[in-house]
Amino acid sequence: MEPTKNFNTTPGMAGESFDDFKAPLFLAWQINSVCNLGCLHCCEEAGHHIPGEMTRDQIFNFLHQVREMGIPYVAISGGEPLLHPDFFEVAEFIQEAGISLKVETNGEFIDDRTVERFAALDFRSVQISLDGATSATHEVLRLKGNWGKSHAAVRKLVKKGVTTEIVFVPTSFNIHEVGPAIDMAYNLGCYGFYTGKIMRIGRAALNWDKLNPTEEQYKACFKILDEKTKQYKDKMKVYYYPYDVIEELKYRLQKPSASLLVIPNGNTKLIGPLPFICGNVKEQPLGEVWERYKKAWREPRVIEFTKRVIKDPNLLAESNKWQNIFETRSETCSA
Amino acid sequence: MEFKKHVRIRKEKFGMVIFETLKEKVFVTNPTGAEIIERLKDKKTPDTIITELASQYGADAAVIADDVNCFINNLVRQEVLAK
Ligand code: SF4
Repeated sequence: MEPTKNFNTTPGMAGESFDDFKAPLFLAWQINSVCNLGCLHCCEEAGHHIPGEMTRDQIFNFLHQVREMGIPYVAISGGEPLLHPDFFEVAEFIQEAGISLKVETNGEFIDDRTVERFAALDFRSVQISLDGATSATHEVLRLKGNWGKSHAAVRKLVKKGVTTEIVFVPTSFNIHEVGPAIDMAYNLGCYGFYTGKIMRIGRAALNWDKLNPTEEQYKACFKILDEKTKQYKDKMKVYYYPYDVIEELKYRLQKPSASLLVIPNGNTKLIGPLPFICGNVKEQPLGEVWERYKKAWREPRVIEFTKRVIKDPNLLAESNKWQNIFETRSETCSA
Repeated sequence: MEFKKHVRIRKEKFGMVIFETLKEKVFVTNPTGAEIIERLKDKKTPDTIITELASQYGADAAVIADDVNCFINNLVRQEVLAK
């Protein structure tokens, strides 16, 4: 997230750099690591608990700080966030704090009661992962996944007036279905359809040769996305991010975003594709973690490693081998 | 006039940050823009805002009116403020 427009100002004014902000504008929070699925392309390598996950007290202590710092927008993901025992209390807290909330889920635990609760909370949106317009395509990627459940969840949420979005990760297995998937999203009444190049991190990095679409496949996909964007203009938001993770890293090195990525054990990553941890919200006040984040992007170790990753994308496979920038010991994700 | 449902506003040293969280668009203003936004949040009309700013800065209301109206129209055009 970064400023896209200055009102009545000239370029170069304050508010254009992440440094200018007193607090993050966006918090991406992976509340848990547990998931019922084992998707081939999971960036988080989710499935099981990881050591040191935040306790209930730590979670609410953290949330009080999120509110006090005035962070305007939070996205909760996992793992599968609906498997977290405190999920609804957390969502209620965020909603009552006046913070905009997006929930990213695989959609497999959205029964009628959950839909009612989501509708009552009236938050920004629910984002559901649907990687195909058919069960065969979706389920080949989302091991143990049930397309019918996720599809039904979208239908029910839309019916109850919940702003619902679909996320589609293109791989060599499903990229041919991007057009039908967008049509499906529109027919279901979704607010938006989001996609972008698959990120070579987590399990996606391990399965990269199987998953990564060819350049021709991407070319055909982006052509369809252009057409669909026009077709659904003013009817449904078709959003795609055309850059891959390397292009993203090049950009972020110049212009880090005003956001924090907090993982289930409280560690705060600089950005998903890099292994660097700048702090832990269980151990440091959130304000201090934000200052550490800003400082971390200027650390020679971070800059040098990022440049190495840009030259050698194989290093993206290190993204979950955490390295604490301000301490010498390193930690390894056992998710 | 009111800010749209998913718009969040925060004061900053440089002025104000406006975040349209549904469209995921961020806007920033300088301190003068922040003064206008504070008053819009308090549900003040453009005329009241112009009068208040003119007296606060000892400036000509006609000149202030151009700036305030242009600023407000911009907020409406960017779909962060509803008329
Ligand atoms: S991609 Fe999502 S649904 Fe799949 S294993 Fe990872 S967290 Fe679970």
